[in-house]
Amino acid sequence: MRKITYWVFIIVVISLIFLPPANSQETYKVGAAIALSGSIAVYGEGFKKAIDLATDEMNGKGGIKGKKLEIIYEDNKSTPKDCVSAVRKLITVDKVPVIIGPAASSNFMAAAPVAQESKVVMISAQGAAPALTKAGEYIFRVFPSDVLQGKGISDLCLKLGYMEVPIMYVNNDWGLGLKNVFVENFKKAGGKVLDEIPYDEKKTDYRTELIRATKGNPKAVVNLTYIVEGSVMFKQAYEMGIQTQWICGSAAKAPKLVELAGKAVEGIIGTYPVFSQETKEYQAFRSLWTKKYGDAKIPIFGEYNYDMVHLIAMAIDRGGYTADGIRKALFEVAKGYRGVTGDKTFDQDRGVGSEYGVWTIKDGQIIDYKK
Amino acid sequence: MDLFLHLWIMIFIYSIFAMSLNLEMGYTGLFNFGHIAFFGIGAYTSALLTLHQIPFALAFVVALVASGFFGFLLSIPSLRLRGDYFGIATLGFGEILRMVFQNEVWLTKGPMGLPGIPKPILFSYRFATLPQYLLLTMGLTIVTFLILRIIIRSPLGRTLRGIREDEIVLMALGKNAFHFKIKSVVIGSVFAGLAGVLWTHYTTFISPGDFTLSETILVLLIVVLGGKGTEWGPLMGAFVLIFFQESLRFLKLPTEWGRYLAPLQQMIFGGLLIFLMIYRPEGLIREKGEGR
Amino acid sequence: MSYILQSIFNGLLAGCIYALFAMGLTMVYRVLNFVNFAHGELIMWGAYLLYLFMGDPFHFPLYVALIPALGFTILLGLGMDWIVFKPLRRTNRLTLLIAALGISFFLRNGAQLFWGAELRTYGFEIKRGWRLFHISMTANQMAIILATLGCIIIVYLLLYRSIIGKAMRAVSDNLELARVTGINAKKTIRFTWIISSALACVGGILLALDTNLQPGMGMINLVKAFAAILLGGVGNVWGALWGGIFIGLAENLSVLFISTGYKDSIAFGMMVLLLLLRPRVLYGSQE
Repeated sequence: MRKITYWVFIIVVISLIFLPPANSQETYKVGAAIALSGSIAVYGEGFKKAIDLATDEMNGKGGIKGKKLEIIYEDNKSTPKDCVSAVRKLITVDKVPVIIGPAASSNFMAAAPVAQESKVVMISAQGAAPALTKAGEYIFRVFPSDVLQGKGISDLCLKLGYMEVPIMYVNNDWGLGLKNVFVENFKKAGGKVLDEIPYDEKKTDYRTELIRATKGNPKAVVNLTYIVEGSVMFKQAYEMGIQTQWICGSAAKAPKLVELAGKAVEGIIGTYPVFSQETKEYQAFRSLWTKKYGDAKIPIFGEYNYDMVHLIAMAIDRGGYTADGIRKALFEVAKGYRGVTGDKTFDQDRGVGSEYGVWTIKDGQIIDYKK
Repeated sequence: MDLFLHLWIMIFIYSIFAMSLNLEMGYTGLFNFGHIAFFGIGAYTSALLTLHQIPFALAFVVALVASGFFGFLLSIPSLRLRGDYFGIATLGFGEILRMVFQNEVWLTKGPMGLPGIPKPILFSYRFATLPQYLLLTMGLTIVTFLILRIIIRSPLGRTLRGIREDEIVLMALGKNAFHFKIKSVVIGSVFAGLAGVLWTHYTTFISPGDFTLSETILVLLIVVLGGKGTEWGPLMGAFVLIFFQESLRFLKLPTEWGRYLAPLQQMIFGGLLIFLMIYRPEGLIREKGEGR
Repeated sequence: MSYILQSIFNGLLAGCIYALFAMGLTMVYRVLNFVNFAHGELIMWGAYLLYLFMGDPFHFPLYVALIPALGFTILLGLGMDWIVFKPLRRTNRLTLLIAALGISFFLRNGAQLFWGAELRTYGFEIKRGWRLFHISMTANQMAIILATLGCIIIVYLLLYRSIIGKAMRAVSDNLELARVTGINAKKTIRFTWIISSALACVGGILLALDTNLQPGMGMINLVKAFAAILLGGVGNVWGALWGGIFIGLAENLSVLFISTGYKDSIAFGMMVLLLLLRPRVLYGSQE
């Protein structure tokens, strides 16, 4: 019995190492659970650059009420469960009142209840699933919901004369959500959905799905895909000699896709929430980017991340460095705010609106599609 | 303080899981590498039921029954296999189950996982905060330990150990080894399910990615390191390994290093397994009468 | 119809690769009497080593890079045996299995440490394939078939037309008797590992050529190799070959009926079924 008490004593002592140390408060810490590794890292590296750009700009102008803004990054490894633990760590260890949430809708929605329950604000700059902010009043997004994009893709197909298409989509909240909106709109307008083919992320071989989708040689195939999965699919489609018009969503509109897939993605078309590149906000953003990073290759969703950081900073300034203060202040500061990506007023579901345009890839460049 | 509580909650949950595997592996000699499947079944069952507004007490019972039932189903065909083939077959079963979790999106929402799993409510007491949850897990760990101890020290336990040592002799003595092996697997599965229930209501999020080979290796390591076939072994193993794993997870490192941490930790686990097999297969706490 | 033909072709292709894996795995089983659970990682490391030598800082062209890739994979296989399996030679199969699991885990995460968990490719230029009889095939895929044939021929020559092959067969039948007749068991065992690792390496490279590289690619294919050797009879090299081809065909044809998400579980399922239905494995007789 003595031996056991001895062990228990040692164990309790060792675990006491984990009592909390004192907390320092020279900066306003904001958490960021983004994908620094894993399949979504190709998006995440761009977000980090945009977030850093905004942070440096703010701190250069004196910060918020004299204190600097500090972003605490946690790698969410592109999987839902690591998103949950990344967000949890930011909340329990770093004790931040506001978190920049994971990119992919599924990953975001996995972590949202954690933030909501701990009453910490979490914002998404690229989550498009319609149900994204359902978790509660602490969850926001600065990117428009796919309810509009689904209709946009449907309209695009009809406008181009494709009345019968199969649809392939990533098997997660984003793909599923967008697919459902598309199918609903397309059918209502008289179109016919030939086949619905979900596929898993992170696979190395999509030939089986591709064979199934192009059975019967359809003139166009709708493919709601991400960058990495898209690059694998389009390359394999090219090798297999598949000839069809690919129609994508906003997640594929990225210079990185061209980089990975080269000529296999020449000519694909997609929709995206559009904002004017002629506004003075955008021009200012672009010159700031070029000055810091030396090129004008703005990564996908970079503008949204930039706007988000600014909104967070303004909310801290107005509402104080608490989750509730930030939450209330976000509505106030976003009302009528014209960011790089347009009007950022929050609606009652804590989302924003947008218009949709069409893009395409020509000669390795992403340009607006004009018929 | 939160970290301290979190650590202990995880240690207790994994203790229950390890104790259940220890019953099968350590005492009966059945190397069930698919044990994680029952952890998963318990977890998913309870998660799905409580997400559909079924009260926790009921969901809890159903989850445990489900785990035991599937344990029973698995054991019938696979227990006829020789030791290492049993291990491989159960490993295969574990992976197949994970793929079912992943592909039956209508049921489990597949890779997206099920977020927002509610905290347990027993007798109108909600175990929401960390200290409350710690009490819950600690209590259930003690209960598990006592129940298993009673089983191990009973004639049933002796029979199980007999099976491990020399099955043929046991059968010559008139015992139906097959029936006892099934009992062992079913009991083990029930407690694995219990661990799963506690785990899923704690993390509030479940996805198929939580039940991969890495988890199997982890619990295998816990049992082997702690000392299989002993009463305190699994607890010891759980303490050492979970402590190590969770503290690494919450370490404050520059973010660039973060991506190296997980694989490095897993490499250490793999290496530890190898080391143990070669130099000290009995683990930390030796079984009585097994001194070397 | 071309849909089915294409699936058959894809199945044969996958089957060739699995056959290579299975042959290597079964050879070690024959001679050392246990399943090397870390064989998958030999496959994976073979593929990644080629990637390493073709990239920074070496930039060797494909055929030159093959040599160090093969060489280091063989060293890895030999190392595995020498460091872990040799000390455990006299213990039971279960200990070996657990140790192999440990090695597999160690190596898999080692690869992830160096190269990350993201998909990688060899980066060869994408070219359109040809269409023969309604089947599309690329140059890479032709290479796979040719390489597999080449390996099969080499294995045949080694096993049945050389002294060392005879020694391997003798050792696997009866280790003590083989020793008594003067066969150097240690050398034979070493040679077995060399061939097994080489086959794994080639198979892994071909697989990565056809699809991509990722740290998990070893584990999944290990199961397929294991199902193949169960099908063909454990320890039977030619059985492993046919087993591999069968699994490849089964996988690709089955997705015509079931959801593509379950494609990988076909091999798992077959493995479990075979284990449960084949009475021979109950008492572990060889051949």
